[in-house]
Amino acid sequence: MILTSFAAVEAGNLRHATVAYIFQALLICGLLTVYSVENSALLYWAGTALVTKALLPPVFLWRATAQSQQETKPLIGFGPSSVLAILILILMYVFTHKHAGLFVQAAEGSSTPYEIGEGLISLAETNLAVAFTVFTLGIYAILTRRDAIKTVIGLCLLENGVHLSLVSLAPTMRETALAGIATEVVITVWLLLYIIGGIRDRFGTTDTSQLSELHW
Amino acid sequence: MPVKPSEIHSLLPALVVFVPAGAGILIFLVGRWLWTRAAIAQLAAAATLGIAVAIGLAVMNGQVLICFGHQFRVDELSALLLVLVAGVSFIAIVYCPVYMRKLVREAGIPSTTRGRLTAFYGWLLLFVATMLWACMSNNIIMLYVAVEASTIASGLLVAFSWDKRALEAGYKYLMLLTVGITFALFGCVLVYATGSSVLGGSKGMLISELRRIAASFPSTTVALASAFLIVGFGTKAGVAPFHPWLPDAHAEAPTPVSALLSGVMLKVAIYAMVRTVTLFYPNFPPVAAFILALGVFTMILGDLMALAQDDLKRMLAYSSVSQMGYVLMGIGLGTNLGIYAGLFHIINHALAKSLLFLAAGAVMYSTGARMLSEMGGLAKKMPITSFCFFVGALALSGMPPLNGFQSKLALFVAGAQAGAWWAVVLGIGTSLITLVVLVRAAKNIFWGKMPESIPESAREAPARMCLAMLVLAVLCLAIGIYPQSVYSPLSKAAKSVQTIVTDTPNALAKR
Repeated sequence: MILTSFAAVEAGNLRHATVAYIFQALLICGLLTVYSVENSALLYWAGTALVTKALLPPVFLWRATAQSQQETKPLIGFGPSSVLAILILILMYVFTHKHAGLFVQAAEGSSTPYEIGEGLISLAETNLAVAFTVFTLGIYAILTRRDAIKTVIGLCLLENGVHLSLVSLAPTMRETALAGIATEVVITVWLLLYIIGGIRDRFGTTDTSQLSELHW
Repeated sequence: MPVKPSEIHSLLPALVVFVPAGAGILIFLVGRWLWTRAAIAQLAAAATLGIAVAIGLAVMNGQVLICFGHQFRVDELSALLLVLVAGVSFIAIVYCPVYMRKLVREAGIPSTTRGRLTAFYGWLLLFVATMLWACMSNNIIMLYVAVEASTIASGLLVAFSWDKRALEAGYKYLMLLTVGITFALFGCVLVYATGSSVLGGSKGMLISELRRIAASFPSTTVALASAFLIVGFGTKAGVAPFHPWLPDAHAEAPTPVSALLSGVMLKVAIYAMVRTVTLFYPNFPPVAAFILALGVFTMILGDLMALAQDDLKRMLAYSSVSQMGYVLMGIGLGTNLGIYAGLFHIINHALAKSLLFLAAGAVMYSTGARMLSEMGGLAKKMPITSFCFFVGALALSGMPPLNGFQSKLALFVAGAQAGAWWAVVLGIGTSLITLVVLVRAAKNIFWGKMPESIPESAREAPARMCLAMLVLAVLCLAIGIYPQSVYSPLSKAAKSVQTIVTDTPNALAKR
């Protein structure tokens, strides 16, 4: 998960970044399918993730990158990003394990089999550590990447982190709520890419540092 | 789940969402071939307002309407917001047709005019429907979904003009709000997960159930969930320092949309915050204190930024940030009078700020100018707009006998009663800045000498636009002169927030 996130953030070619994102989305589907052996409701989550993460956003991203695949140079390069990514992972690991009570206590009430037992609680903690890292890497991409399409990939990563953390925090969530959350992400990605298409037409670039019509 | 004596099943809550949503979808499907898009939108908005008023009357008679199980629950607070959203939306939609036709014609907006206007009315009605949905959702996760849906529905409305400025605003709007509101999702999920460990299963999603057990939440969970909820819904409500999307979006959207964004969308976000964060008020006072501090910071920053603007709509947008600070101050005081005053200011700001945006739109419609430095001397040419703008400006500045005076007075009295003198002093000081900002703008636009850049042919806005503005101006005056008219619904709505405070210990004792 971390590697695919990092690849999606760092790949200079937008289509390579999209492929890394597809891998991550498929990985989420795979993980959810494995978890679903313990909790059959998660099979529905896996199906939702397949459509709303592995299928639709990549199609939109692929179409949006048809004209230009090269990313605008980011604000922070590969070296510092790698150090930061490792730091974020360590921080999140320590945070989720140190404050396990906060989340695991929350998750206990779900009464799903896979969370009961120490080994499985530890699985939930690790899952949360990874989810929060993916989420933070998404925010990092949005903040430091100058290419608008890359920021959308960052947004997709962020939402993947959310989706993954929900597995541990709220596995009994109703399907309607989950479908609502997942569908909105797809529509947001579509709308953002549609507007970015307009930005490319009008500004001649997708470099967000060129978006300087509006000041404070 | 058992239905309490005061709760009755009703289809009205479903209807109030489905009417605008259905009309929006109808316009998307067949609007291209119809000349009556605007008429359908107005009809739907009028029907929505009628249903909202019917719901309001039922709720004022002591009933709580529930629908779809307990997924929709309309108590006094929800009903107040429903009527406000439906009312302001109706007025904005009445204002739309003439303004939008000219905007599309003159801005050289690509694609056919018909197609663009079809999409505009379609999204506009969906936007209204999502806001109404958010006001009634009793499911904490679906509350997030509805609030985020209102962002999605308004994204293309913000970027409607499709020029450089609008596209930049639309991109920032969607990106910043989506990231911001994701924090609210984390907050909602944390509350739900902790709640369901006591309530079991999907009951943990229902706010009406959660509030009975919120006192038993561990304090660390409360701190984290509250922080997430305040950042998430606060971003959407334009609370500083999460406000940078707001001036761009509110200034670049077409004026009727600006009126809706500033007038009601911010309030829906505040409503979501009130519904969720006040769950923890009785047992975790620091949450309220934090909201109070954030409110005061927001009101000062917003007005200082407004002071520096030359762009009329941008100035109004920053002023909205400031006024949201006042609302938050009331909510943050946490007392009955504080929440009452906060809700009162929600109504007054919705009316006055929509009025100011519509008046600004009328000026832009007639003169083509939007910078304050490019305007002047329009009072004689646009007397109705001039009157309406002054009413809105003085109302927001808290001048008697207008509605803003009543809510600010209530707010300052509540602050004094709660011992938050520092907030009262800063609030009064900021009100003076508001007066300078808005009355100076009004003076720049309507008094003095008319610049040569403004065409001699400039004249009063069309009757339909004037009518929409006059209705809002009359409401500002009426509530200011006769505030008793809103006392009852407001105190009931404030009490429904306070119920959370008084209910909790009893509910826990019964458990």
